[in-house]
Amino acid sequence: MTDFWNPYRSLAPGQQRWLGVFSVLGVLVLWSALSASGLLSKNQLPSPLAVAEAFAYLGWYEGRSQLAVATLWSVGRVAAASFLVIVIGVPLGVLMGASPKLNAVFSPLVDPFRSAPVAALLPIMVMWFGIGEFMKIAFLFVGSIVYLTPLVRDAIRAVPEGYLVSAKDIGSTPWEGVTKVLLPLAMPRIMDAVIVGVSVSWTYITVAEYVNAQEGLGQLIANAKRLSAMDQVFAGIITIIAVALLTYQSLMWLKRRLYRWETTQ
Amino acid sequence: MTATAQAKPAPPALVSATDIVQEYKQPDGKMLRVLDGISLRFERPAINMLLGPSGCGKSTLLRMLGGVRPWNTATPTSGRIEIDGVPCEGPHPETVMVFQHYANRPDLNVRENVLYPFGFNEWRRRVSQKEAGERVDQMLSEVGLADKRDQDPSQLSGGQNQRVALARALVLRPKVLLMDEPFGALDAQTRSTMQTLLCRLHAAHPCVVVFVTHDVTEALLVGDRVIVLSTQPARVIDDFEIAARQPRGPDWLASTEVRMMNERVVGHLRSSAGRGTVRVSV
Repeated sequence: MTDFWNPYRSLAPGQQRWLGVFSVLGVLVLWSALSASGLLSKNQLPSPLAVAEAFAYLGWYEGRSQLAVATLWSVGRVAAASFLVIVIGVPLGVLMGASPKLNAVFSPLVDPFRSAPVAALLPIMVMWFGIGEFMKIAFLFVGSIVYLTPLVRDAIRAVPEGYLVSAKDIGSTPWEGVTKVLLPLAMPRIMDAVIVGVSVSWTYITVAEYVNAQEGLGQLIANAKRLSAMDQVFAGIITIIAVALLTYQSLMWLKRRLYRWETTQ
Repeated sequence: MTATAQAKPAPPALVSATDIVQEYKQPDGKMLRVLDGISLRFERPAINMLLGPSGCGKSTLLRMLGGVRPWNTATPTSGRIEIDGVPCEGPHPETVMVFQHYANRPDLNVRENVLYPFGFNEWRRRVSQKEAGERVDQMLSEVGLADKRDQDPSQLSGGQNQRVALARALVLRPKVLLMDEPFGALDAQTRSTMQTLLCRLHAAHPCVVVFVTHDVTEALLVGDRVIVLSTQPARVIDDFEIAARQPRGPDWLASTEVRMMNERVVGHLRSSAGRGTVRVSV
């Protein structure tokens, strides 16, 4: 117990996992008890068993898996939007971080939207881009890039000055200072920014797929809600959380593989 | 003076600083004078020690000599720096600086860190990839890191990291090597080893070394010439040469001659008392 309030003490991996499983199981038990008690109706809180049955039904019914198809559609949309966000947002953030003038130009166009109600942009998106696939990806793109770009800029600015001073002393041109010094040294934090950007896309997927979606997890949830199938709504939400978590964990794993170093000074 | 003597002017000093004044604007609007009319000439390959109390402006002067400018202030406020007779305005290809915090890249291994300058277009143009590789391998064995070439900087000790920084500087064969308290963060034992290494490397690769330190003993042990600066605003208060050959051991340090030198320097620094401290570690 002496180490209970010591944030620097690391847990054994087994203990960490065991405590996590324990807390999830605790919630499951509480959930079962609550739904079995009859205090809440089936439509307010489906029992864990009902959600499991919904999973089974969505997972495989009459030779097709609704859940797998919906997940693939959503993954595809998030992947397409994330690709665009990375291809446009990372270079923009790098330029903003490396040049105060470019930052002064682009900052008013990006920074305020971090606190903008992005979900409220949906009607505007529909007016501009229609109700097709393009609108959905554009919406995810806007929601995600306003988070990613400032983080990339901050990643560049967080590179200690000494590396750039020393590089200029041994012959780096200003542009080489950006491409051969700042960018490679900012990569771990840029990777963090990408992870945040992808996670944000996952949180907006249901909103993006709310309008006229024929496929996708957002549509699956919206449909189930219309039919008052709360168990399927739960199943859909749990699937989104699971896929987003899997994405997050794989990107973190990739980051740890690629960048084992830290900048000092 | 004869006509022939006039027609043949003296060769320019390799590095010359003339009447250098540096002032910084302080938050309250007053100007803080850091360097007060410093004139120095470095004409031949030697190790020149720039000795002064900490915070006196030695590093500021050194950065000026290397053309390493602070981003937000014009330097120097007045005065002129010339390298090979050409005014120095920005990073100069013949001068290389070694910093106290060695600025080794954490994402590159030891060999890549020494090869690092040759990745910039300027050096890529000047030196072929093949020659660069040969120079780097040669230099790594000279600083005693040949067996560590594939390790990362984080796996090395402070002294080994500073060897990497030294190798990266010398591999460019600079005419002027500027060192900003390079061994200041090392323990006494390692510092002594590094001082010996520096003298040996300098004998093999003669160049003008300007070495900033606040350690009197280090100045006497390593220097061919010692320039003593006062506290802020810094002025040159003493400038003398030490003829004794390397290696200079503890016996030499204990000799009467050296003790007198030591007392002279410490006396100067005491009489220019003020803020800042000097380290005497005999």
